[in-house]
Amino acid sequence: MRHHLAVLLLALVPSAAFGQAKATVPDPDPELERKTFVVAPGFEVNLFAADPLLAKPIQMNWDPQGRLWVATSETYPQIKPGEKANDKVLILEDTDGDGKADKTTVFADGLLIPTGVEPGDGGAYVANSTELVHLSASKPGGKADRKKILLSGFGTEDTHHIIHTFRWGPDCHLYFNQSIYIHSHVETPHGVKRLNAGGIWRFNPDKTELDVFCRGWVNSWGHAFDKYGQSLVTDGAGGEGINHTFPGAYFMTSQGPHVQRILHGLNPGSPKYCGLEVVSGRHFPDDWQGDCITNDFRGHRVCRFKLSDDGSTFASREQVEVIKSTHPAFRPIDVKMGPDGALYIADWYNPIIQHGEVDFRDPRRDKTHGRIWRVTAKGRDLVKPPKLVGATVPELLEQLKSPEGWTRQQAKRVLKERGKDAVLPELKTWVEKLTPPSITGQPPPESERPLLEAAWVYEGIGAADPILLLKLLMAKDASVRAAGVRSLSHQAPPLAVQPEAWDKLVRDDSPRVRLEAVRALGLRKSAAGTALAVLDKPMDRVLDYALWLTVRELEPYWLPEFQAGKLTFGGDAKKLAFALNAIGNKDTVKPVLALIDGGKVPKENLHGLYLLLAQIGGPAELGRVLERAAAEQDLLKGQRAELARAVEESVRQRKVARPPALGKFRLLLISPERPARLTGARLIGLWKVEELRKDLEALARLPEAAEPAEVAAALEGIALFGDAKAKEFIAGLCDPTQKPEVRRLAVAALAGLDLPAAAAKAAEFLADARPEPELVDLYAAFLSRKAGVPALAKALAGKKLNPDVAKLGLQAVRASTLNVPELTDALTKAGDLAAARKPPTPEEVQALVADAAKGDPARGEQVYRRKELQCLACHAYGGAGGQVGPDMTSIGASAQPDYLVESLLLPNKAVKEGYNAVRVVTTDDKVHLGIKVREANGLLVLRTPEDKEVTIPVKDVAERADTKSIMPEGLTDTLTKQEFADLVAFLSTLGKVGTAYAPSKARVVRRWQVIDATGENGNLFRRTRVSAAAEPDNPFAWSPAYSLVSGDLPLAALPKFTVWKDTAEQTVLRFNLDVTTAGAARLKFNSVAGLTVYVGATPVEPKPDTTVELKAGVQTVTLLIDRSRRAEDLRVELDDAAGSPARVALVGGK
Amino acid sequence: MFFPVLAAVLAAPPDAPRPFEFKDGDRVVWLGGTLVEREQRYGYWEAALLAANPGKRITVRNLGWSGDTVHGEARGRFDFANAEKCFKQLIDQTLELKPTVIFVSYGTNESFEGKDGLPKFEKGLEKLLDALKPAGARVVLFPPLPFESGVPAERNADVGRYAEAVRAVAGRRGVGFIDPNAALAKELAGRPPVRLTDNGMHLTEDGYRLTAPAAVAALAPAVPELDWQKLDPLRKAVVAKNELFFHRWRPQNETYLFGFRKHEQGRNAKEVAEFDPLVAKAEDEIDKLRKALK
Repeated sequence: MRHHLAVLLLALVPSAAFGQAKATVPDPDPELERKTFVVAPGFEVNLFAADPLLAKPIQMNWDPQGRLWVATSETYPQIKPGEKANDKVLILEDTDGDGKADKTTVFADGLLIPTGVEPGDGGAYVANSTELVHLSASKPGGKADRKKILLSGFGTEDTHHIIHTFRWGPDCHLYFNQSIYIHSHVETPHGVKRLNAGGIWRFNPDKTELDVFCRGWVNSWGHAFDKYGQSLVTDGAGGEGINHTFPGAYFMTSQGPHVQRILHGLNPGSPKYCGLEVVSGRHFPDDWQGDCITNDFRGHRVCRFKLSDDGSTFASREQVEVIKSTHPAFRPIDVKMGPDGALYIADWYNPIIQHGEVDFRDPRRDKTHGRIWRVTAKGRDLVKPPKLVGATVPELLEQLKSPEGWTRQQAKRVLKERGKDAVLPELKTWVEKLTPPSITGQPPPESERPLLEAAWVYEGIGAADPILLLKLLMAKDASVRAAGVRSLSHQAPPLAVQPEAWDKLVRDDSPRVRLEAVRALGLRKSAAGTALAVLDKPMDRVLDYALWLTVRELEPYWLPEFQAGKLTFGGDAKKLAFALNAIGNKDTVKPVLALIDGGKVPKENLHGLYLLLAQIGGPAELGRVLERAAAEQDLLKGQRAELARAVEESVRQRKVARPPALGKFRLLLISPERPARLTGARLIGLWKVEELRKDLEALARLPEAAEPAEVAAALEGIALFGDAKAKEFIAGLCDPTQKPEVRRLAVAALAGLDLPAAAAKAAEFLADARPEPELVDLYAAFLSRKAGVPALAKALAGKKLNPDVAKLGLQAVRASTLNVPELTDALTKAGDLAAARKPPTPEEVQALVADAAKGDPARGEQVYRRKELQCLACHAYGGAGGQVGPDMTSIGASAQPDYLVESLLLPNKAVKEGYNAVRVVTTDDKVHLGIKVREANGLLVLRTPEDKEVTIPVKDVAERADTKSIMPEGLTDTLTKQEFADLVAFLSTLGKVGTAYAPSKARVVRRWQVIDATGENGNLFRRTRVSAAAEPDNPFAWSPAYSLVSGDLPLAALPKFTVWKDTAEQTVLRFNLDVTTAGAARLKFNSVAGLTVYVGATPVEPKPDTTVELKAGVQTVTLLIDRSRRAEDLRVELDDAAGSPARVALVGGK
Repeated sequence: MFFPVLAAVLAAPPDAPRPFEFKDGDRVVWLGGTLVEREQRYGYWEAALLAANPGKRITVRNLGWSGDTVHGEARGRFDFANAEKCFKQLIDQTLELKPTVIFVSYGTNESFEGKDGLPKFEKGLEKLLDALKPAGARVVLFPPLPFESGVPAERNADVGRYAEAVRAVAGRRGVGFIDPNAALAKELAGRPPVRLTDNGMHLTEDGYRLTAPAAVAALAPAVPELDWQKLDPLRKAVVAKNELFFHRWRPQNETYLFGFRKHEQGRNAKEVAEFDPLVAKAEDEIDKLRKALK
């Protein structure tokens, strides 16, 4: 009986019982945890504070007295009915300076998941669910008994996204973040501020001024300022490492009026990082100053990045970890420099970190522990904590020269709280005494920074000194000038600045100053022309973005003036082209035409203008664009197709009618660029060009030299005519006398015209079809139409199919994520297959988890890489691979094995944020499935399971529903038990410190392209030569290949071919480098045996450590491998060359 | 500081309106923005309302949502860009509670659109009242409150315009209109000047307390002297009930419990319904304290 009862309990509460059974709850002794730490050479770690007084720290910040305020929550992730929320803000003090907290005060309790705390103004600013509150104690040193609600209306759709990451900016304003699922509507006396996704707020509590500082990220739990006030951000659910942001910028997953274009992080392909601090102060060695410290909380690592200037932005390189650990509950989540110059790390201490993916009530969620660790440099003096609270104003001002960022920032806070009246007179005198740098020639380093600190004090106390700002703008140090521009932009109401001063700033020698100037001008209504002057100086990607944003923000002011002929941007075609391109406004067709016809636009800008014309133009303009795509001689490779596609998009999205004259349009059908040919065929149908229907009909019959893709496009074009003649023609091609490819494509096309007829033809065709993968597309033609499923199910009744043909149907059903039992049954019956699979029971999952513990990760990696499993097609590792699913870099360090097993078997059960699919039915009854990339200006962009972006006009959307994962079920069905166990073992080891699968800071080439050993490629080689593969615009077809987690690319699996009989076998590979600043960089090969190397088309002598000169832009490195001279796997690492200015990154993606 | 501004902007109508009369068992739903939402944290207005009607059982459900407008703009969550769905949220949330009385307090946020925004606001308010008709409830409209000193003068000119629009809509539709400003002016007259807000816009805790008599002046035939020491248990019970109800109707983690990721944590959504008996119990406590006032 007892046994029975246990089984029953298991059935009733599977997750709870299961969790208990598999709980891997470690021994909580802090010393055991500390012993697992591998610390950077020269450093050591001690315990500053721990449970039981400290449970579940979420964020920490120091006050000027050197006390550490910590927000903690035991309620997280969700309050329980009947329980009173009793989360706390604690104050930790080290009163005797021995590096350990010896006094803990509960400052506030009764809070609901306080996700942020920042002391100030006689108490602390605290994130309290929907509200930002200020708590204070009526008795000094007492518990908070006063609460002021400062802001209300923050969303709570997800408690690990609610407002967080509180931090005083250098300007003494409170910056705080919210994350992707949060929708906030906050009333202020200056209007309602709304932010409907992630972003960073900037708040002045004195005036209840609140603004969106920048937008985006999935879950940005790190924001720090470098010593010049530049903002750096990390994302706890994104994979781009350190992000450099500035006012108004948009990053991934943004919402807002300018989502069409976004900025990216500096380390794409990174694991997720939480918390961020910039190292500053004498306790740390010189080569650590300014470095960024953040936490790979999934991989149990505290990481370090070194930043260097890269044009207007930064380059970021990972260094050796500060701490790495194998302890399953070590979860570093916040990091701050302390008053003694040491580095403090908040350890949330939890084996479970998932939010939605693991049950809110999973008993493995730790509710009681937490630690603060302290990292010190061995043998280096600590900093004597400064006395700030009782200091005089002149003493505090002198502290603004301190080498410790901690001291400068806290001194500013104390000054701010002293208030304007007490500070202003002394501040004026102090500023006057600072040597004006502009008249002393070359100033010593640091001598200008105090002026900047003074300007920030002015901002804090709500005062302004225009002369001081002017001094900043004239500073020798470009970083100070840039900060001066930012401070200027903060002045409200705006300070009057002479136009000449702006003209000078946008043409400053420093790209960082130009960036700040361009963004500051976005706040000045008539400044578009001034901002565009930045184009007179060298541009980089980030500057280009900043200008694009500014021009768009200012559109309401400059466009009417421009249209009225009052504004000409100095008649500079380049500036005008930039501005018109940026806004893409349909009211600018005439000026765009005038620009094109004026003949003054630089040649490299002309293509962009034609693309713009395709986007905004009417029938006549589209005709002009097609004319160019079809007949213009002087075009670069790919431009024809790009122009044609832009026209097609306009026709589909804006329903632009057929041009009055077709001109040389027909030439598009014989264009040298295949995509242009396909587009041409579809356009004939979209516009119902009767006189060219015959061309399509000829193409649809698969004439010699045509390809199936062209047949498909032709059929799509014919189907678009939508008339009886089209139906009759296509039905004819479904006839058994036709070629099978034509027949298959014709049936799919017929589905768009006559579903019952198509279903009957499909059943007839499938009955004698061979089981080829393309059949999935045929099934999809029915699955993607609402009435398609019942029609096909009905037609299949009583039919017999080859079992494999039926299986392909089931595969298509799974890929569609539809629940269509009638079709599943029909296919199962027709193919005489066994009944469909059932979801695994909790016991089965448990058994599989137990098996996986005995699995072999190395064998599992081989399983993972199998083509038929499609893992790499959707998931990247270290940024290399498909982008449809989450990056797998540290999946094993964060996900429990039960979650991994369930996700493989039931992809829909728990889906990572940002990867939920949307199912859209358009007005033509077509079904689209994908992940939403963005939605703006009436267009919805989805990333399909095939990793392609599709754009759907929102007005064409008839139905829209959130579905779950686009990962098909049943991918692992074909695996043996051992293979499955190995696969889970591999995934659950990924990212774990102390294993061969730990994240590495090495910049190893992981994403490759390889030339397939097809007959066509072979012929091309024989016609040209092997080295032709290194030339730009080469004609070869390349396929993706990816390195192992170790970084090695296994040679055995790569295609090889012999060009001529009896010559050695060859393999041709390439990879891309993104060079943002030109210069020398190093490529390190594990061995150069058998290698020939080209950078661009230039051969380079390969050495194990090869220095190469790289031009700015995306550069391709091509490798020819003589397989007779090389058997070992290939590993290539990118590294910096000493003294080189080059900034180079590996290009990731699919 | 409140008083002079008020007097300037909103002169009390010549004849004081007839007070609104509650019935025993009335269920009030209260719509609005931050002013309404924040009241639930302090409970002064709600406790005053109960104290002024001690003979009747009245339950209040505060559906205030910061940043909201007559269009339900703050309520859309993931559908924020879909005006229809935002509005539907506002209506569904209200009707679900089967109110017999609906307090509607909008106009502050809309007033930032100035004169040009007036027609849109009036039309929106009318649309809202039409959509709430199925409740069959008695509707009372409140005008937006003026700002305190420290904001540009045109701010209050705009607020005044929107207040007039609310009054006009109430007049046209023959629904209740309660302007607490005249009562507030009377209440504060003769006292030393006092600040009711920190930022010129939102009442502080003291602000709610000081304005409570005026807020409920027209919500009972006769409002007794409000002794907040004596009323403290009732007010605290109101705040406790509001907190429980807040967890019920605006729970955290909605995305996982009810939204598009409910397949992950939807099994825990049943917990949210477990707040219902807790709210009912809190309501009984309020009732007990209210009856004791008689």
